[in-house]
Amino acid sequence: MDHRPQAWGRPRDDVYGAYDASYLHDSGPKTATQSPVVTGTSVIGIKFKDGVVIAADNLASYGSLARFNNVKRLRTFLNSSVIGFGGDVSDMQYLDRLLSELAIDETYETDDTPEDDEETTKKTHLNAANLHKYLQKLLYQRRSKFDPLWNQILVAGTDGEGKPFLASVDLRGTAFSSASLATGFGSALAQPIMRRYAETDEQAAKLTREEAVAVVKECMKVLFYRDARSLDRYSIAVVTKAGVELAEEEQLEKQSWAFAERIRGYGTQNV
Amino acid sequence: MSSPFSINGGACVAMVGKDCVAIACDLRLGLQALTVSNNFPKIFQYGDNVFLGLTGLATDVATVSDLFRYKVNMYRLREERHIAPTTFANLVSSSLYERRFGPYFVSPVVAGLEAKTGKPFICGFDSIGCIDFAKDFIVSGTATEQLFGMCESLWEPDLGPDELFETISQALLNAVDRDALSGWGAHVYIIEKDKVTKRLLKGRQD
Amino acid sequence: MAAMFSQNPLMNGPNYSFNDAPKVNAPEGARQHRFDPYTDNGGSTLAIAGADFTIMAGDTRHTSGYSINSRYYPKVFKIGGTTADQHDANLVLSVVGFAADGEALKERLDAICKMYRYRHGKPMSVKACAQRLSTILYQKRFFPYYVYAILGGLDEEGKGAVYSYDPVGSYEREQCRAGGAAASLIMPFLDNQVNFKNQYVPGSGEGHALQERERKPLSRNEVEVLVKDAFDGAVERHIEVGDGLQMMVITKDGIEEILLPLKKD
Repeated sequence: MDHRPQAWGRPRDDVYGAYDASYLHDSGPKTATQSPVVTGTSVIGIKFKDGVVIAADNLASYGSLARFNNVKRLRTFLNSSVIGFGGDVSDMQYLDRLLSELAIDETYETDDTPEDDEETTKKTHLNAANLHKYLQKLLYQRRSKFDPLWNQILVAGTDGEGKPFLASVDLRGTAFSSASLATGFGSALAQPIMRRYAETDEQAAKLTREEAVAVVKECMKVLFYRDARSLDRYSIAVVTKAGVELAEEEQLEKQSWAFAERIRGYGTQNV
Repeated sequence: MSSPFSINGGACVAMVGKDCVAIACDLRLGLQALTVSNNFPKIFQYGDNVFLGLTGLATDVATVSDLFRYKVNMYRLREERHIAPTTFANLVSSSLYERRFGPYFVSPVVAGLEAKTGKPFICGFDSIGCIDFAKDFIVSGTATEQLFGMCESLWEPDLGPDELFETISQALLNAVDRDALSGWGAHVYIIEKDKVTKRLLKGRQD
Repeated sequence: MAAMFSQNPLMNGPNYSFNDAPKVNAPEGARQHRFDPYTDNGGSTLAIAGADFTIMAGDTRHTSGYSINSRYYPKVFKIGGTTADQHDANLVLSVVGFAADGEALKERLDAICKMYRYRHGKPMSVKACAQRLSTILYQKRFFPYYVYAILGGLDEEGKGAVYSYDPVGSYEREQCRAGGAAASLIMPFLDNQVNFKNQYVPGSGEGHALQERERKPLSRNEVEVLVKDAFDGAVERHIEVGDGLQMMVITKDGIEEILLPLKKD
């Protein structure tokens, strides 16, 4: 007879094996994202003459399941910057709330008077470079606490001098900047295409807005062809000094799957 | 450290010059950090102008060098002529590949001059016989990174025998001084049309 | 308690679920994580001290695995100026390894130097800054900054000074030092060309009679050529090194920055 009521009716270890209580976290470590759950795939961005084009598809995957197909992974900040998120979607939503709060604080706290024109107001607000630095510090702090925000992020906008700004930061706080950037699969599939058009900032400064948008759209198509965790509906934003133009319901156009006919040699099909 | 390639330590380098080649090795034999011999040459001669450098597991260095002595002798008896460096290189490659799934843990280097033309020839191999033909230099052993750094900055085309000796010696000596598993003296061979000069370098003894 | 009611062999009797079940994760409060907080962002650095100058150099490539993230990511920084543009800085820090740690370390040291300048009304000496940097690194002994740092400047006598560090703060003043991915390729070259290692006076004798070539400080021009040659060699044989070469020349007149191209393949 077992004298402990707690044990009555429980499966016996010698029959069923020890119960794996690890998920209960009774007095264990604080819960932290130790691996991403619902994820977004690539974000891509390229600088042009007077701004930046940035894009990401609208899919949030749960492993290999296409779980949510209307998740917007680009967000604007004060109509002057765009932030694109790859990686964990819940961490993205946390950052989104955080940035919304920050944006509100920015609009209230800066001591701009109503008479100030739009230009002056913009100068006192956080620009993309400031925002990127902020996110870098935040993500680095979290990785140092062993509680990372599982994202890779692109920040697009203009820097303090009004020049196009594009930079990346990841879950370890590693940050870098380049004429074109891509996260995840995009770094292998889209980056080589974008670098053909803008290897350096000097080359990017010669690109027109139309060219840059065309390149990004082409890259989104290539990503849809070859990235299994991607979608043909995507968001694309153009950031210039004038502000942000964000389209969240773009549909991939002029797809051609003719190439698929010519693929040979996988699985049992080898003729 | 438990890789069979780095238990005993050792370094080898070969370089091409103008109408000459050079090959050099260190003399250390160790067991992990402990040095057990300072007279363990890793270069072997298989004809008037065919040389083989072997780094890696010392027992395999001995076995493989003997194996090739046997094979080259058999070749000479059957063919009644000396083996050419290119032929020897192919012999090394195919012999190593025979042991594809249980390889000798050695990284060989071949250096020599074509008997007829006097054309310099060097090449290196991985442990299963993939040949690396090079126009400039070949390095192997536990000091490969250091040797690459030295060779890449010291070597230049068309060095004469004396300049080549100085270059390969400086490359080897300075490389092994930054590798704990190599050093303790060196052998340097300068191979010219009908002259082979072997020099012993003292080097640092620590 | 658990063992008392146990009948299974392991725990001495059968065990029941939940609170009594043996925890797979070892001791209480121990943190178990799959997250790896470090990466290696490649690149290489180099520093040489001259008679009245110091040259600090680093390539500008930033990598993750086989990808090149950026072709211009500086690893060499001016430290301790009064303002953000560092126009009156007297020290240079180079960091290579995990870039995020490198940047965090740079910003901390810079802030400390700025505070020192503000409190004492004079810039920090290299010697003092070198000791402070060691302390900073050692403070994180059990969760280190994964970086190889080199600090350069001019000492109290105006001579070139180079201090090199391991990730946990062990440091030493040296004539020259290479750090990072291609350190093992560059360092023996520096021994040979800066400290004249393995070079002897021709005809000076044999064995112990051999006379070492006399060490004399190199001119600024010679050192610049040496740095370029060292990196050209490293670029050829190391995939994580390339794109650009950033050089900082520290003299009594200030710090001059030079940017040269390296191979981009």
